[in-house]
Amino acid sequence: MIRLKSFLTLFLISAILVSCDTNDGTKIEVPSSYEFTRNGETTVSFSGQTTRIQMGHELLPAMLDFDNSTKELLLQMYRNQTESGGDVDPFESAELNAATKNIKGKVAASVDYFSNNTAVSAVIKNQFETWISGQIEEVFPNRNTLAAEGQPGQIADGSSTRYVNGKGFEYNQLVGKSLIGALMTDQMLNNYVSVSVLDAGTNREDNNDGTLAESSNYTNMEHKWDEAYGYLFGTSANPANPLATLGDDDDFLNKYLARVDNDEDFAGIAQETFDAFALGRAAIVEGQYDVRDKQADIIRENISTVIAVRAVYYLQSGKNAIDQTTPDYGAAFHDLSEAYGFIYSLQFTRVPGSDSPYLTKTDVEGFLAELEEGNGLWDVTPETLDNMSAEIAAQFNFTVEEAAN
Amino acid sequence: MKKFSFLLLTVLIIWSCTDNGPSGPDADDFDREAILVNWADNIIIPSYTNFSEATEQLHTDAATFSEFPTASNLLTLRTSWESAYLAFQTVSVFEIGKPMELRYRDNLNIYPTDTTEIENSIQSGSYNLQLPSLNNSQGFPALDYLLNGLGEDDAEILTFYTSDPDAENYRRYLTDLTSRIDSLTSEVLADWTSGYRDEFVSNSGNGSNSSLDMMVNDYIYYYEKHLRAGKIGIPAGVFSGSPLSTHVEAYYSNDFSKELFNTSLDATQNFFNGVHINQPSESGESLSSYLDYLNTMKDGSDLVTLINNQFDAAREQAALLDNDFSAQVESNNTAMLSTYDELQMNVVYMKVDMLQALNINVDYVDADGD
Repeated sequence: MIRLKSFLTLFLISAILVSCDTNDGTKIEVPSSYEFTRNGETTVSFSGQTTRIQMGHELLPAMLDFDNSTKELLLQMYRNQTESGGDVDPFESAELNAATKNIKGKVAASVDYFSNNTAVSAVIKNQFETWISGQIEEVFPNRNTLAAEGQPGQIADGSSTRYVNGKGFEYNQLVGKSLIGALMTDQMLNNYVSVSVLDAGTNREDNNDGTLAESSNYTNMEHKWDEAYGYLFGTSANPANPLATLGDDDDFLNKYLARVDNDEDFAGIAQETFDAFALGRAAIVEGQYDVRDKQADIIRENISTVIAVRAVYYLQSGKNAIDQTTPDYGAAFHDLSEAYGFIYSLQFTRVPGSDSPYLTKTDVEGFLAELEEGNGLWDVTPETLDNMSAEIAAQFNFTVEEAAN
Repeated sequence: MKKFSFLLLTVLIIWSCTDNGPSGPDADDFDREAILVNWADNIIIPSYTNFSEATEQLHTDAATFSEFPTASNLLTLRTSWESAYLAFQTVSVFEIGKPMELRYRDNLNIYPTDTTEIENSIQSGSYNLQLPSLNNSQGFPALDYLLNGLGEDDAEILTFYTSDPDAENYRRYLTDLTSRIDSLTSEVLADWTSGYRDEFVSNSGNGSNSSLDMMVNDYIYYYEKHLRAGKIGIPAGVFSGSPLSTHVEAYYSNDFSKELFNTSLDATQNFFNGVHINQPSESGESLSSYLDYLNTMKDGSDLVTLINNQFDAAREQAALLDNDFSAQVESNNTAMLSTYDELQMNVVYMKVDMLQALNINVDYVDADGD
């Protein structure tokens, strides 16, 4: 409700700004589909983003392929090269093996957050390697052992079997859900929709003049915006009209935007986000940069909200599983492993109109330390999970209850 | 949130409506402990006792067959497997207390069973049946495969226990399965008879952690997920779009799935009416008498009558089905779907109307799916 109001206000402001801006004539309509052309050819391109999402889709199941995966193979999937930079073919897909892109290079690599902060960037990039290695070194050898406090192994979650480390965490969930923040969200919110990237160099002048990037049909600015779009819709069945299959197209942001949109407290967030992308892109074509930047703010607020809602949702699901006469540890560990990844992702969110995340790296590390303390998830209390949920929700325009149901 | 407040509003309106007339009976005034006593002493504990005797017989016959793998011992073992599997249908619903802690039902009855995993375990001779990843290669469905699915006929099945290079491992796996079913069941029964019965009966309040609220939730969950969906809906393709004939219960025995279903249906209806398991002519306090006490009506009809009629309608519809549900979904799936629809009606009567009358909240939701 509050969020809707703030959106309306924002919309009103942007509408006013549009009208101010358009004294020279044109008012931009929100395009109904993400299709833009020049001389009869499309100007939209985000193949690098599609590639990285697909690489993630091969990496995650490989972390549970006990018969075939090795540490070397998984790390090669993360880097798409050897440790010393040599060429490798770790993927099933020949196309991915041939690709020059990789996941690791774009983890914690946005201009706004990490260009002057390469030390932290390196720590985050390596964190993923530590989790991947932990899967091979701790979980793989114990895959046929029952998990217990301090003992990695398997644990039942309903009729599913989960594989956890000695503190009850699923490394594959940590990697999957943390990539949503460290890769997709960071690149989208703190890089490609940022003024620093969109207006870099002569981008504005080139865009005004219609000067195209080398051997391309798009201006640099158009392309940067499309690359942001690609981290959300890059594997959509129909990327021009991606909402029709929202949630089925990837296991990262696309999936969880759908999950949040399906919660009636947040219904409409997907359409709103798509519209912001489409209108922002149209504004770039029209050279209306204020409109563009207003859309970037909507995208930042909505994507950040998706991550926070899912963090609280999983914290509450995990709490409910623990907080009963016969605690369901398996279900709780699975939920809380997902929560861990979404909390990790919060440090890559972005408050509109600022240079900061909704929760800082220090905040995030404090939460994660609480989850990991002692025997980790084996002895985390419902109170801890409730407090954490409340602290996260307090930074956003939603309540714990709204996120939890 | 909004949904909840809407519900609250509806409930308030309904309350205020009843307040206008002479004040009716209050759900909280009913002697809930009388229900718990009837359930524990006349249904749950005797059902586990019967089942425990059946699992002991099953293990004994498996051990005999393992020692002397003859055609006649195979037939005996198969008969005791059928008796035990039928008796299991009367206890599967009680996933509360010890069974919940043990994940009893998941250990005894996940189907379809994973035949590849079974063969791997037999071949390697090394397996830990306590592992959750082996839940779908043990219990009654795995025994179904071992007793009915290894070969085309009994002679061929017998060769796996006699002349096959892994014959010894087949025999050992078989008895390891029956031993585990028997020991888990003993553990559950012992828990009920050595203290849990009193704990269950005395927890007679009306909160979400009270015995009645939890048992009713387990009961409706069982009806919805294991009876309606597991035995009928999933094989009929209700959730997948096309029929899955290999997903029926007791797939390898070819003529047993309907009998298992009917036993389960009877057990759930008898539980609703408080019918004593060993004296079907007698009954005690249960959900039906509780609803009668509250005079619960739905659209002008008595809710207890509606629910019992609906159980009967499902039974009549199911009577038209083949004894083998896998043959049924392949020849005429519409009849399966009609059975599903009849079962579904009672999900509404029980999960919505009954729970509202009894002032019980649903404590489970459909899983997120990831």
